[in-house]
Amino acid sequence: MTRPGYDRRRTSAIAVALSLLLAILTGCSGSDAASTKAGGRVTLTFAWWGNEDRAQRTKEAVGLFEKRHPGVTVRTSFAGYEAYVQKLATQAAGGDLPDVTQLDYRQISQYAGSGTLLDLGPYIKDGTLRTADFDKGLTGTGAYEGKRYAFPMGRGSTGFAYDAAVFKKAGVAPPQPGWTWDDWVEAGRRISALGLKGPNGRDYTGLTDIGVNEDAFENWLRGRNKKLYATQHQLGFTVADLTDFWTFTDTLRQQGVVSQAKDTAQISGAVEDTPMGRGLAATDFNWDGPFLGYPPLLGENVHLAPVPTTDGRAGQYFKPTMLVGAGVDTQHPKEAAQLIDFLLNDPDAGKILGVSRSTPPNRKIAQAISGGLEGPEKEVYDYGRKIAAYGTKAPPMAPPRGDVVLQVSFTRTYQQVIYGMQSPREAAEEFVAEAKRELR
Amino acid sequence: MTTTTAPPRPSPASSKTAPRRGRRLRQGPAYVFLTPWILGVVLLTLVPMAVSLYLSFTDYNLFDAPQWVGLRNYTDMFTADPRYWRSVGTTLLFVVVAVPLKLALALGVALLLSRARRAKGFYRSAFYAPSLLGASMSIALVWRALYNDGGTVDEVLSSVGIHLGGWVADPSLAVFVVALLSVWQFGAPMVIFLAGLQQIPTDLHEAAELDGAGPWRRFLSVTLPMLSPVLFFNLVLETIQSFQVFTPAFAISGGKGGPADSTMFYTLYLYERGFSASHMGYASAMAWVLLLAIGAVTLVLFKTSRSWVFYAHEGA
Repeated sequence: MTRPGYDRRRTSAIAVALSLLLAILTGCSGSDAASTKAGGRVTLTFAWWGNEDRAQRTKEAVGLFEKRHPGVTVRTSFAGYEAYVQKLATQAAGGDLPDVTQLDYRQISQYAGSGTLLDLGPYIKDGTLRTADFDKGLTGTGAYEGKRYAFPMGRGSTGFAYDAAVFKKAGVAPPQPGWTWDDWVEAGRRISALGLKGPNGRDYTGLTDIGVNEDAFENWLRGRNKKLYATQHQLGFTVADLTDFWTFTDTLRQQGVVSQAKDTAQISGAVEDTPMGRGLAATDFNWDGPFLGYPPLLGENVHLAPVPTTDGRAGQYFKPTMLVGAGVDTQHPKEAAQLIDFLLNDPDAGKILGVSRSTPPNRKIAQAISGGLEGPEKEVYDYGRKIAAYGTKAPPMAPPRGDVVLQVSFTRTYQQVIYGMQSPREAAEEFVAEAKRELR
Repeated sequence: MTTTTAPPRPSPASSKTAPRRGRRLRQGPAYVFLTPWILGVVLLTLVPMAVSLYLSFTDYNLFDAPQWVGLRNYTDMFTADPRYWRSVGTTLLFVVVAVPLKLALALGVALLLSRARRAKGFYRSAFYAPSLLGASMSIALVWRALYNDGGTVDEVLSSVGIHLGGWVADPSLAVFVVALLSVWQFGAPMVIFLAGLQQIPTDLHEAAELDGAGPWRRFLSVTLPMLSPVLFFNLVLETIQSFQVFTPAFAISGGKGGPADSTMFYTLYLYERGFSASHMGYASAMAWVLLLAIGAVTLVLFKTSRSWVFYAHEGA
């Protein structure tokens, strides 16, 4: 037996609760759906990694694309490399990859292999994506199991940025193609012996410690006729090779030829964080695209030299600096393909983008912009031609999935060496063991 | 128990409550009102926990469907991954350093504040403030700047002849930068200590004083035993929290746990395995081991508490 008054109270209480609940639930949904197609307009998302300079140029090019395609709005976002890679993996897992996505060569196997990238074949066939003027050496990259998922945005190679004024002061001749690792060490020794001081009275060293850099190790290995990966599941080097490399660099550190541990540990991928960028070293290993970051910090004395050789055997090679693809779940594949084509093949876009992603893969555009380049940009362009003329060995296969992780581990494991916590051999054993787990 | 002179407040449970029978009837609306919370617990806590338990037995890289690997994640963790054990060691070092320091500081300040006569409110807020600010990213970044090469701490120590350089870039000191940041946020245990101190009957102190006990003796024989339940509560809470230290370490090392893994705490390594290395299965396994380990440590604390925690109502 219940009292009618209580019943009414109860009913109204339930009603209030339900309406509150409904309000909460509706509040949660419905905010996302509206964003892609507002008022008949198409909104594309486009994400890349890179520095401020690249961001400025890319946004400008995107602006031009929007002007040419009045119905399309492009929402852009960019981040530093490490943060970008991490965010992209989470987005890919959630089926939420940006419509147009910049990708690293390392990511292609993983992203294409797991079906998160759009097959661009149909858009090549119908002429939306033009490839006629592409550099033949690069056409293979971005394909996976016979299908085309991404296009290279630039062709780049590794090199050494060096401060020519300091080299001159130390009486070292500017590095020429074919210089050897011994020459490199000798240059470093002489510069360190000058006893120059960096900011806060810190010692200025000749070289940056390249032991943290997996790409540098790969170049060094290739000069010795070995490679980083033998297959998708096997390393192409042994513990002994890596021990040799880390002993080589760590000995130079102990002799004061390369940067100190705490400065080497600060290397993050941004030019500003490298010992050279911080005014503490005269050379730095890097890709030719990021080279553009040094002159603004250090002046016009900074130039780009090829990677040293082992008895004349060069280890460096050309690879796509980065690629561009489309998310498989994009609502507007046609427009995404148009944007990719625009970034790669439009002469005006080419002019805006310049060599911010190293030498453009479209030869006509590369040719067209080369006349207008000056200073460091011209140097990057000329460097590409110089290396091509000088001859490099064929690039290695696309790195296996695990390489994204191993690249970071390489750096961290070497830090154990420079802080004296492990011997080069112990560290090499630890890295190789991790690599085996990663590649299985 | 209480020694306050305020008149006793009428208990809300007295006299005018609804008849017993109404209670059960009212449960319907109660559950409806609770629905948002229940949904939250089920969807955001219980289901993810179950999924993570399943994932811990798989190889899951976010891209492809999880693959069952049995106990491999666990065996890898315990037998093949030296970085895992380094992260355990770093975390234990942090707990052992940060928890006692933080509790000692909190208790010390609470003792001072409980005696303060003027501007009590101001001092309490001032000492509590770091706990509010400390959780933020910006403080961690300020902290990093303080302990960097040529930062304030380096300059001050150098001026008195101690040349340590930047702590952040030194693998043997970096962990203490994070520990100090945590110790500095002693507000929460301090407030609890303060409340505990107010509960100690003043007649106990007066009696001890009459017996000729000095301040130190009174602290050891009256304050500490009477405060031991509160101390125990804080100890358990802080230990659990310290095992899960993440944000300050992430911010100070730029998310890398560096230099040379010296601030790679357990949770940071877990995060790195999961989100940077895309080994969600391994990360899930790590999370479950952490849960069990914290449970075990808490259990041990409870066991030892029997010998040192004094509950007033048990005695006398």
